Amino acid sequence: MNPATMQNAPRSAMAQSLSKKLKNLDQMPTIPAVLLPLMRYLERPVEQMELQQVVSLISQDESLVTKCLSMANSPLFGRSKEVDTIHGAVIALGMQRMRDIAVSCSVLNLMPNKAANFNPTAFWEHSLGCALVCREFARKIRYPDPGKAYLAGLLHDVGIVAHLWIVPQEFQSAVQNAQTQGIALHEAEAVVLGTDHCETGSIVGARWHLTSDLLAVIGSHHAVAGATSHRDLVALVSLSDLLCRMSGLGYGYPEAREVSFIEEPGFSVLLQECPALLDFDWARFTFELEAYMEEVHRLVGAFYRNPN
Amino acid sequence: MTVLAATTAPSKFSEPSASAPNPTLIRIRDLIYQVAGIFQPDNKLRMLEERCGRRMHALRVSSLKDYCDHLTIKPSHQAEMVNLLNEITIGETCFFRNQPQLDALKTVVLTHIVAAPAKAARRHLRIWSAGCSTGEEPYTLSMMLLEEAPTRLKGWTFEIVATDLNERSIAHCKAGNYRDYSTRNVTPYFRQKYFTARGDELCVNPEVKAKVSFSRVNMLDAPRMSALKGMDVILCCNVLIYFDLDSKRQVIRHFHDNLLPHGHLFLGHAESLYGVNNEFRLVHLPSATAYVKEEK
Repeated sequence: MNPATMQNAPRSAMAQSLSKKLKNLDQMPTIPAVLLPLMRYLERPVEQMELQQVVSLISQDESLVTKCLSMANSPLFGRSKEVDTIHGAVIALGMQRMRDIAVSCSVLNLMPNKAANFNPTAFWEHSLGCALVCREFARKIRYPDPGKAYLAGLLHDVGIVAHLWIVPQEFQSAVQNAQTQGIALHEAEAVVLGTDHCETGSIVGARWHLTSDLLAVIGSHHAVAGATSHRDLVALVSLSDLLCRMSGLGYGYPEAREVSFIEEPGFSVLLQECPALLDFDWARFTFELEAYMEEVHRLVGAFYRNPN
Repeated sequence: MTVLAATTAPSKFSEPSASAPNPTLIRIRDLIYQVAGIFQPDNKLRMLEERCGRRMHALRVSSLKDYCDHLTIKPSHQAEMVNLLNEITIGETCFFRNQPQLDALKTVVLTHIVAAPAKAARRHLRIWSAGCSTGEEPYTLSMMLLEEAPTRLKGWTFEIVATDLNERSIAHCKAGNYRDYSTRNVTPYFRQKYFTARGDELCVNPEVKAKVSFSRVNMLDAPRMSALKGMDVILCCNVLIYFDLDSKRQVIRHFHDNLLPHGHLFLGHAESLYGVNNEFRLVHLPSATAYVKEEK
C-alpha cells in the first residue's frame, strides 16, 4: 500500500479483521486451471509452440471457449473474418493474440457476476481497457514487450477481484466513499478496509505463483516511486491505469482531479527506458481511446449479460 | 494556410485486419490533425468518410484518393481543407455542447480557483468565451455559474466575456433567442429556470444575459486581444482549427498573456495544441483535457 495513504488509514479493529480475512483468501476462487499453463506456454519462443497444444489448453474450459470466440471476433483483437472454432481463431489471429484473449477471458471469468448490491461490470471494463491501453502505449513508445504490458495491465487490479469475493460489502462502501469524494479507489480502500488492492493483489499474485514482473506491477502501480524492481513496466501500467481512469474507463465514477502526465512519478521512470516518451502526443492518444471504449463496453456488456 | 502532407503513421487501437479502414481515409484523418489539430478517432471514421463524401459530391470527385489530392496538392487545397472542417464541425453549436468539459470545469477547475490563495483578495471570476459564435457557449457558462452561486461560488462575483469576429453572430448573441436545434441539450430544469418561451423560440432570461458581455473581436487584432487581461479560464472551441500555424501561435500567445497564473485554456472536443505551443501544459480532467498556463 502507498505509505502516504497508509498513514491516513486508521487501523481500526474492523480494518484489522478485514485485513486478516483478505490475507487468508478463503473465499477467493482458485486461479483458473488453464491460466498459468497458458501464460507459461505462450511465453516460449514462437518456433517452440505448437498450434494444437494452444488449442488444447484453451479448449479444456468450455465456458472459456465461448468467451474467447466472442473476443476473437472483436475488432479490438484484429478480426479478419468471422471465426467459430478456437483452431480457426489461433490460425487467423496468431498465438500471441490468442494468449491475450484467453488470459483476458480467464481473468474476466474470475469476477463475480454480482457482488453485494452493485454491478462489477466497471471493473471488468477497466481491466480489459487498461490491458489494451498498456499494449498500445507500449507500441507507441517502443517499449520492448507490448505483450507483457498487456498481461500486466490485465492483472494489475487482481486485488480488486479478491475484494469483490471476500469483502464485497465493505468494498462497496469503499467504492461509494471514493465516488462521493471523487478520490482514487485505493485511497478509499485504505480507509475502509485498512488495506488496498495493491497489497491484497500481491498476496493473490504470490499465491498464484505469478512472475516477479507481474507481482511488481500488482503491488506498486499506485506507488511507482517505491517500486524496487521492473520499474519501467510498473511505470507503464501506472500511467496507463491513470489515463484510463481519467478517460471514462475507470471504476465507474469520475475522479475529481487534475493530472499532468509529464509530472507523474511514472513518467520520469519510464522515460529512462523509452526516450520516445519525451515527444509523446498525450492528447492524441487520449482522443484515440474514445474509439475502442465503445467496443470494450460492448464486449464486457455481452460477457456480463451472458456470463456462461 | 499551409497544408502539409501527412507523414505520421496511421495509428489505431484496433489490430490490423481485412476490415481495417481505408488507408486514404486514415491519411485524411492524420492530415486534418496535423493541419488543424482536431482528431477523428476510429469510431468517427464513418462520419469523416460521409463528410468527405459530401465534399466529393460538391467537387464531382469520384474517389477518396482523388479527394485527398484536393486536400494536399491541388492549388485550392487550403480552401478545401476549410470546407472539410466546416463539414466536420457543422451543427455542433448548441447549449451544453460538451457536458464532460463543463463538469470538469465546474468540479475541478472552479474548485481550485475558489481555493487559490491568490484569489482571496478579490473574489471575482472572469471567463472568456473566445469565438463564441451565436452565444450558446457563454450563456451555458452563465447558467452553470449561476447554479454554483449559492454553493461553490458563494461570496464570489463572476463575468463572462464573449467575443466573435462576426458582427451578425454578435447581434444574434445579444438578442438571445434560440430555436429547438440549439436548445436540444437543455434539460427541463434549465429550460424552466433560465428561458422564456416565445413562439417557437426560447429566449434567454435577463439574469443570464446580465453576466455576459459581448463584443466583436478579431483574434488576430493584437491591440484588441491585448486588452482582454485577467482571465481565469478561456474557452476557445473549434476556432483555432481554421488558423494556420503562425496565426495559431499568435493567438495562443495572447491567450497565455491574458490568463492569470495557472489559468486554464479549454479547446473543442478532440482538439489539441500538440506541436503548436510549449507555454501551456496539457492536463487531464475527468473525461476532458485542458491546457494550463506555464509560468515563464
